[in-house]
Amino acid sequence: MTTTIDAPNGREGQLNSGNLSKLAIRLGAFAAFAGIVIYFAIAARGFTSPFNLTNIVEQSTILGLLAFGVTVVFIGTGTDVQRGGIDLSIAANAGLCAAVYAVLMRQGFGDAVSIVAAIATGMIIGLLNGLAVVTLRIIPLLATLAVMNIAAGLELVLTENTVIPVQSPLLQVIAFGRFLGISTLAWCFIVISVLLIWALQYSPLGLRLYAVGGHHEAARAAGIRTGRYVYAAYIFAGFMAGVTSILIVSRLSASTTGTGLMLLPILAAALLGTVFSRRFIPTIGGTLLAALFIGVLANGFQLLGISSYWVAGVQGVLILCVVAMTSFAKRD
Amino acid sequence: MTQAAIEMHGVNKTFGPVRALMDANLVVHPGTIHGLVGQNGAGKSTIIKVLAGIYKRDSGTVRVHGQELDAITPAAIEACGVHFIHQDRLLVPTATVAEAIFLRNEPHIGPFINYRQMNKRATELLKRYFDLDLDPRTLISELSTAKQKIVQITRALANDAKVLVLDEPTAALVSKEVSSLFAVLRRLKADNLAIIFISHYMSEIDEICDVVTVLRNGSDVGVVTPAEAGIEAIVQMMTNRDTSEMYPRRDVTIGEPVLSVNGLTLAGHFRDVSLEVRAGEILGITGLLGSGDKELVSTLFGQSVPDRGEIVLNGKPVSFRSPVQAVRHGIAKIPEDRRAHGVATGLSVGENIALASLDQMSGWGFVNTRTEAAKTEALIKELGIKTPDRHTMVKNLSGGNQQKVVVAKWLSCDSQVYLLDEPTVAVDVGAKVEIYNLMNRLASEGKALIFLSSDLEEIVEMCDRVLVIYRGALIGEYQRGEIDADRLLAAASGAQMEQEGRSA
Repeated sequence: MTTTIDAPNGREGQLNSGNLSKLAIRLGAFAAFAGIVIYFAIAARGFTSPFNLTNIVEQSTILGLLAFGVTVVFIGTGTDVQRGGIDLSIAANAGLCAAVYAVLMRQGFGDAVSIVAAIATGMIIGLLNGLAVVTLRIIPLLATLAVMNIAAGLELVLTENTVIPVQSPLLQVIAFGRFLGISTLAWCFIVISVLLIWALQYSPLGLRLYAVGGHHEAARAAGIRTGRYVYAAYIFAGFMAGVTSILIVSRLSASTTGTGLMLLPILAAALLGTVFSRRFIPTIGGTLLAALFIGVLANGFQLLGISSYWVAGVQGVLILCVVAMTSFAKRD
Repeated sequence: MTQAAIEMHGVNKTFGPVRALMDANLVVHPGTIHGLVGQNGAGKSTIIKVLAGIYKRDSGTVRVHGQELDAITPAAIEACGVHFIHQDRLLVPTATVAEAIFLRNEPHIGPFINYRQMNKRATELLKRYFDLDLDPRTLISELSTAKQKIVQITRALANDAKVLVLDEPTAALVSKEVSSLFAVLRRLKADNLAIIFISHYMSEIDEICDVVTVLRNGSDVGVVTPAEAGIEAIVQMMTNRDTSEMYPRRDVTIGEPVLSVNGLTLAGHFRDVSLEVRAGEILGITGLLGSGDKELVSTLFGQSVPDRGEIVLNGKPVSFRSPVQAVRHGIAKIPEDRRAHGVATGLSVGENIALASLDQMSGWGFVNTRTEAAKTEALIKELGIKTPDRHTMVKNLSGGNQQKVVVAKWLSCDSQVYLLDEPTVAVDVGAKVEIYNLMNRLASEGKALIFLSSDLEEIVEMCDRVLVIYRGALIGEYQRGEIDADRLLAAASGAQMEQEGRSA
């Protein structure tokens, strides 16, 4: 050969600097988390009390479980959160499921039927997302926004925009029960996290879902039926909305309006979670940490007497920062 | 004779009016490296995609190890032990090496992936086949192109491949990597694998292939042994086409140099390129995929900023930092991918034509619609663009007519240098001739044309002078009549250098 083109080798140096900036962002995220916890421990009275710490975990449970739903969608539709998929409907979906559950309970159907109906509702909404994104090929941002409105509208139809109080022995157990000193709500968080960490991080299924999201064509070339995986991811997000809706009702002893407002913190948690992973991809562990992080923020602000309205602003800033940082790190 | 690994007989495939495969046959035996060659559009990638189950064949039979396959799906063909190493490295960038190798075939204990076993086996496979010490936990995105290619092949081997299809495997490799890839292929051949090897590089075909199937215009025109037939014969089989009255003649006196380039370099793409093009001249540039030809032309158009070298226009050095500046200096480009760069398909024919020359058609911030109408109508008529009227949306036109709209767009702005990047790709023969006529007309008006094409016949017939670019460097210059398509192909694919190397 008379000429050699040095393109293949020339790229490796850049990749290294990319890795370095990734590492810096990742360590920075951990440091920020630790720093904020330490700051609250010193500045906010009662932050480190066992009661408050359990409270944080419980507050983070609902946020975290719904964020798991979005995380699975992120994993299956593109680890690049900007071009990939998203599920904007999940919070509204949880509100609808809670309404279905509450209305059926009021009509005297009992826990078993009502819970199954609530979860089925969530999964149907998930199926609708899958239909819109996979079969109809509408861009996920728009498709799930539309589905979000469908879910929110149905919730209003069912509840007529009122609070529907619900009582049942099961809800009592979820809301006030404890086992080994840990509340039922926290147990739900732990058990579901462990199951999902296995399913996504340690099972063949999880690896394939990551492959579908990581490089759609490559996954297809490896013989994976990619459409089914994306469908499944959306249906799973709906399933999580259904399950979480029961916890929401138990915590408030009612179905209330306004569940849809949780969308921002859910997205913040799922996006922030990517910063905690080595490969900058959504992981259950990362989302778990991020949900706790946001829970700590909200709790600390409360204890310091800062208006809770600020929390929403901080979450918005977090989303912007995370998306900017991850896409910046990936650009190298 | 042993049982053939792959037998494809009488395969047909059409895309709309285009017949991509016509009764094509391909028979590959175990323990051989089987070359598949042909010019662009000869049907190489179509026949492979039919085998891979990406395209459905219209008719014909496909047998794998004697077993007839009706409908092929990617999963089914892989289950038969046929694995494809695609040209674009289809790997998940966020996966590790081990994960990429064992995707869909993960070693597991119960419901858990056995990562220890997976990493161990990945390490062993890479060591055994490639003698490569690579941490299996490295992310794909951190690997060089060559190593990604190796991971793809390892993946096929881990899945017990019996047939390996490599589509342009060396396109992104440097020569040392190519020779180690060849060593691996020879070892796999000794293990009785059947290997289908697709390459534009004739020297590689000569070096590695036992048998070669030559495709031309969608049919197989011969199965030969390179060692016996020789490269020249294969090249001739590839190009031997009926050159009827497709190429109109012109009579032009070539004038002064308009555009010249000295020592132009764009790192990673081309280096030290010097050329000049004169008024009334059509200068052809040809090279293989990835040879740097496209980057050269887009650099002349200001789409990339060169690292070194100068561009001289009408005797004055110029430098373009954007296409806008190039257009202001009277340079026009007709891009290959007209959907992406050439036309706004949502706008009307008239609007598209006017787009490049709005300045000349407007005053005081308003488009002079009467001037626009007159000018565009004239061009539509002149170029024979088949459209109901100038208000029709471009997306409703055929490919050839869309291309003519692109040409018209640049004609209307009266440039002095025209860069044409594969202007006749995917247009029918009739439209091709009209585009050739246009090129001749431009030349006769004293314009300078740089014509990029991988259709060698077209290059030979249309150009006053042809430059050959190979791996980023200009390696040959031929005057009209000095070269035919066969020799040009040999030059562009490096066969000539190979032979010079041998005789030296």
